[in-house]
Amino acid sequence: MQQGTRPHRGFTYSLSAILFRLLGLAVIDAFAVWLLPQIIHDRVWYLVVLLVIITLGINLIFLREEYYPLRWMSPGLALMILMVVYPLLFTVYTAFTNYSDGHLLTKQQVIQVLGQQLYLPEGGESYKWTAYRSEDGQYALWLVSPEGKTFVAYPGRPVQPAVPGQGDIGPADDQGTPTHIGALQRLDRIRVIRYLPDLEKLEFGTPPQVLKIRSLDEAAALQPRYVYDPQQDAIVDRKTGKVYRADDRRGSFVAPDGEELTPGYQVFIGVANFRRLFRSPALRGPFLRVFLWTILFAAGTVFTTFALGLFLALVYNDPHIRGRKIIRSLLIVPYTVPSFISILVWRGLMNPHIGVINTTLEKLIGWAPPWFSSPTWAKIGVLLVNLWLGYPYMMLISTGALQAIPDDLYEAAEIDGAGLWQRFRQITLPLLLISVGPLLISSFAFNFNNWNVIYLFNRGGPPMPGTPTPVGHTDILVTYTYRLAFASGGGGDYGYASAITIIIFLIVATITYFQFRYTRMWEEISENV
Amino acid sequence: MMKQRSLWTLFVVLLIASLLMGACAKATPTPTPIPPTPTPKPPTPTPKPPTPTPIPPTPTPQPPAAKLVIWADENRAPIMEEIAKAFTEKYGVEVEVQQVGFGDIRDQFKVAAPAGEGPDIIIGAHDWLGELVVNGLLAPVDLGAKKDKFLPSALQAFTYNSQLYGMPYLTENVAFFYNPDLVPEAPKTWSEVTKIAAELEKAGKVKQGYVLHQGDPYHFYPIMTAFGGYVFGKDKDGNYNPKDLGIDSPGSIAAAKWLDMMVKEGHLKPDVDWDTAHTMFEQGDAAMIITGPWALKRIRESGVHYKIAEIPDETADGHPFSGVHGFMISAFSENKLLAQTFLTEFVATEENMWKLFNADPRPSAFLPVREKIDDPDIAAFGLAGKNADPMPAIPEMSKVWEAWGNAITLIFQQQEDPETAFKNAAEQIRQAIAGGQ
Amino acid sequence: MSRNMGGFLASKRRQRQLITLGRVLVSVLAILYAVFPVLWIASASFDPRNSLAQQRLIPPNASLENYRALLNNPLQPFPRWMLNSIKISLITSILAVLISALAAYAFSRFHFRGRRSLLLTILLVQVFPNFLAMVAIFLLLQQIKNYIPSLGLNTHGGLILVYLGGALGINTWLMKGFFDAVPRDLDESARIDGASDWQVFWRIIFPLVRPILAVVGVLTFIGTYSEVLLASVLLRSKENFTLAVGLWQLIEGQYTQKWGIFAAGALIGAIPIMVLYLIAQDWIIGGLTRGAVKG
Repeated sequence: MQQGTRPHRGFTYSLSAILFRLLGLAVIDAFAVWLLPQIIHDRVWYLVVLLVIITLGINLIFLREEYYPLRWMSPGLALMILMVVYPLLFTVYTAFTNYSDGHLLTKQQVIQVLGQQLYLPEGGESYKWTAYRSEDGQYALWLVSPEGKTFVAYPGRPVQPAVPGQGDIGPADDQGTPTHIGALQRLDRIRVIRYLPDLEKLEFGTPPQVLKIRSLDEAAALQPRYVYDPQQDAIVDRKTGKVYRADDRRGSFVAPDGEELTPGYQVFIGVANFRRLFRSPALRGPFLRVFLWTILFAAGTVFTTFALGLFLALVYNDPHIRGRKIIRSLLIVPYTVPSFISILVWRGLMNPHIGVINTTLEKLIGWAPPWFSSPTWAKIGVLLVNLWLGYPYMMLISTGALQAIPDDLYEAAEIDGAGLWQRFRQITLPLLLISVGPLLISSFAFNFNNWNVIYLFNRGGPPMPGTPTPVGHTDILVTYTYRLAFASGGGGDYGYASAITIIIFLIVATITYFQFRYTRMWEEISENV
Repeated sequence: MMKQRSLWTLFVVLLIASLLMGACAKATPTPTPIPPTPTPKPPTPTPKPPTPTPIPPTPTPQPPAAKLVIWADENRAPIMEEIAKAFTEKYGVEVEVQQVGFGDIRDQFKVAAPAGEGPDIIIGAHDWLGELVVNGLLAPVDLGAKKDKFLPSALQAFTYNSQLYGMPYLTENVAFFYNPDLVPEAPKTWSEVTKIAAELEKAGKVKQGYVLHQGDPYHFYPIMTAFGGYVFGKDKDGNYNPKDLGIDSPGSIAAAKWLDMMVKEGHLKPDVDWDTAHTMFEQGDAAMIITGPWALKRIRESGVHYKIAEIPDETADGHPFSGVHGFMISAFSENKLLAQTFLTEFVATEENMWKLFNADPRPSAFLPVREKIDDPDIAAFGLAGKNADPMPAIPEMSKVWEAWGNAITLIFQQQEDPETAFKNAAEQIRQAIAGGQ
Repeated sequence: MSRNMGGFLASKRRQRQLITLGRVLVSVLAILYAVFPVLWIASASFDPRNSLAQQRLIPPNASLENYRALLNNPLQPFPRWMLNSIKISLITSILAVLISALAAYAFSRFHFRGRRSLLLTILLVQVFPNFLAMVAIFLLLQQIKNYIPSLGLNTHGGLILVYLGGALGINTWLMKGFFDAVPRDLDESARIDGASDWQVFWRIIFPLVRPILAVVGVLTFIGTYSEVLLASVLLRSKENFTLAVGLWQLIEGQYTQKWGIFAAGALIGAIPIMVLYLIAQDWIIGGLTRGAVKG
């Protein structure tokens, strides 16, 4: 088994192979170099870093001999870095910020958003307007003040009083406004709507009398209500005169009397989220119970689905069985329906009042399990649903893995007089567990965080009475902790949720890691087969 | 030898790369995309020091074609597409309706809008207001002259911090349904309801006189108010005060005790869900139910005889929550004025408000339509909702539902006595509110 | 001697009979168990009443109304959704199998330093709970859209890319195990004949591990076909929806659950997977493997 450390790479050194590789690399590098300046220009830093890492990585792998094995994995690794590692890092970063409702935007965005708010100061003028547009996109406004005085306004030029018929202003028709102003044609109500986005952005007139369009009926000397003062690092509300200083630790602009401006902004808050988690009432509450149930649920799911899946795979392993193709296809049916549909169907079937399962049981034996009100039965129920959902997967992989076990092993065993069960236990199971073991472990990790089943089945219920935060008997760690961050009906603290995610990840990863170390034993055994 | 080799290869690679680049550069006049327009970087929870690219929305030469994007759920998307098409025909402006699930609109909007990927208009419920405004995601709406054409309470529901943030178009609330074959007259109080239920059940005419599905605070609220309970107290301006939580007020506890009594005496059963409750009513297994206009279609189709009445009182006036749905404009929209004009000029017309109503019959918030609705059921809903409290839109409300619902469930399942259940729930809610920012 | 032979034969035959009887029993029970809820879905699809609560096994007024509504709705292009789902899942599974197999071969055949740690790291990274990654991926694709529009938000290409991020993972380990079972002598003899690594991989090993390739392909196909979380965040326009997204929207609405139409959609949607599995079964069972492994 030790050979193969320096694999023989005859072809790899040939000229055409080298050229082929270089060309490929060149294309990738060209692509990267083309893309990079654009991304840098847009200052999307994380994308820059990702691109550089991936490109450098690929170059390294394909140019240096010692990274030869990695060449085989480069596409997979590149994609993984982009789509999995990056979001992971992103979550880690978020956990140290206050990214949440009220703090979704960056400080700059908040300044910008507030800066867009306009108001009409005391004594500011407002007019009725009609718009005019030239072929090449120039605009002008015909204004009528509340007193009936008329004006013309161009972007960037002072507002001038004007009268129809004078200068290059066309005559007024029965609509009361000039038909044209110079080369600009009047836009009627229907056509003006198309140009609203342009008109909205224009500023007509010059300071101090700058007019903006406020609505279809009104143009007014609107002013930005909030102005950012970089020297004070504060925002001034021109309408009320209040000054809100930036509090970069909290992530909002605060006035001396404590009033906060909304929206706030994202700031880095260090380990505050983690501290909050460890101090939260949830951890004082039934945390241990939830944690234990989570482990039980994951392990129970893996065990039952594997048992059933393997059993079925074995039963139909003989190629001489008639109709086994059809039978297996039928058995895989649970896998053909998206899981959220199935969970809802099972919910319906298990409904204590009208569900078929319960009504039938009641008729037969006069009692049916209270799937949704009893803590024990709710747990069993959710395991049963997961069993139905999961056994096809186990059946599939067991079927596949069974093919790898050589027949002669069985033949030899049979000659030695080994019975069915012995053959299973000594040959099938060990060999199977070697190839399938890691899958069981990964299934455990998956179900540890199986939010879907728990939530859709009964939202984690039935509820536990007398707890510091809402908890249900079938809640697993993820549903329990996410509720802290999201409450119900949305409204969330993503920074907090990220911190929680990291902790859960550490827990699962640790468990998974130790499970893999345990299975190391299996792999060593296989080397002796 | 090895090092030399790799250096050499690197050189060749770079050479080829630069040649290729040269070729490419000439080939494509690289249309460097307009700097990801307005949005100076999304709420880029970027794992990099958020160099919030301060690229303010420079009026970059925008492509002239104006366009509006609307997010609507699958109930409204079809009719909105019709309306949108008519608008495009009349005004030459493209309007695209994107279908997003109702439950997803708010969450996806929160991420998409700051990233510049959001719509211009969303159709949603008024109780989203708190969350969206607090994140700076909504632009104020100016209805201009059309303002008086709307139901004042609907406008109030879409007002936050004294600013109007949406154009309402429908209001909904639950009302009290009863089967006249079993219940000759609408009960006026909840004590009457209990009595009638007991009689009907004893006579074996029904399985449950009054049916309430488990764990749903929204449908329980009308009962709570009838006993003097409340969720959040109001300040003098009519705004909800998050510091005044009423879940453990004497009135609410009294309602909880009534619920407990009903369960103990077998009038209410645990684990009944929404679908089951309605099926029971439709099949005559239940005589009374509280439900909303969304259930009208199925109740009508079932053929059961029904009448709609106001919510029974008890020690106080029983009234439901009102939910108002409307159109909101994104603060990140490039075409706010256009969006607003679309709403005030086109949608807020009798013709289109009728279209909206017919597609999804719920009392319109647009007065010219509301007053002409001749469907007696819709009118009855309107009557039942005349004292309705708008669902609190303040962000703290999101912390209330779960705990409140759980308390109700615990009473149904007889896992806790009513007073403890509601007191606990109130504690949980206060903790959650305090624990937040 | 003859008496022993008779007894031996008889018990062997009875053994076989018992096994067959057992098998039949198991088949009936298992199929019932597997199919019953789906039968329920089927029955709902023929029931025009659209209510989960009122369902019976044989709907009283069975009709094809739901199917008609489903297929003839210009605003909910169901056939388009099916096509999208099949296309995306097919492409993703083929690419994922390739990517995974390449990596599995390397892990199996090249004993390089850090091999085990790398594999373990990959597996642990993939264990990360993905919910919050939603925001990151959304923003990432949104940026990508600015440079490579065909791979950004609201594109199938983008969605496929995201799915492929998970190609390296437990499937790789599964495949590696299978590759390990293929004896090195085959590699050696091929090398002696002058084959390169790539040729060994592609010509010799790859065909031998067909069963596991088929398994991983089918699993990936099913996984992406029913995936709804990422798809509903990343896909915007109705024409781009996958089946899962379209169906999800049908029932997650406020109090309005078009249960019957939804059931019809789910049923039709299940057909491609069944077909796929039927086709792939041959590969999964693959007789060739056993022969080669014996050698």
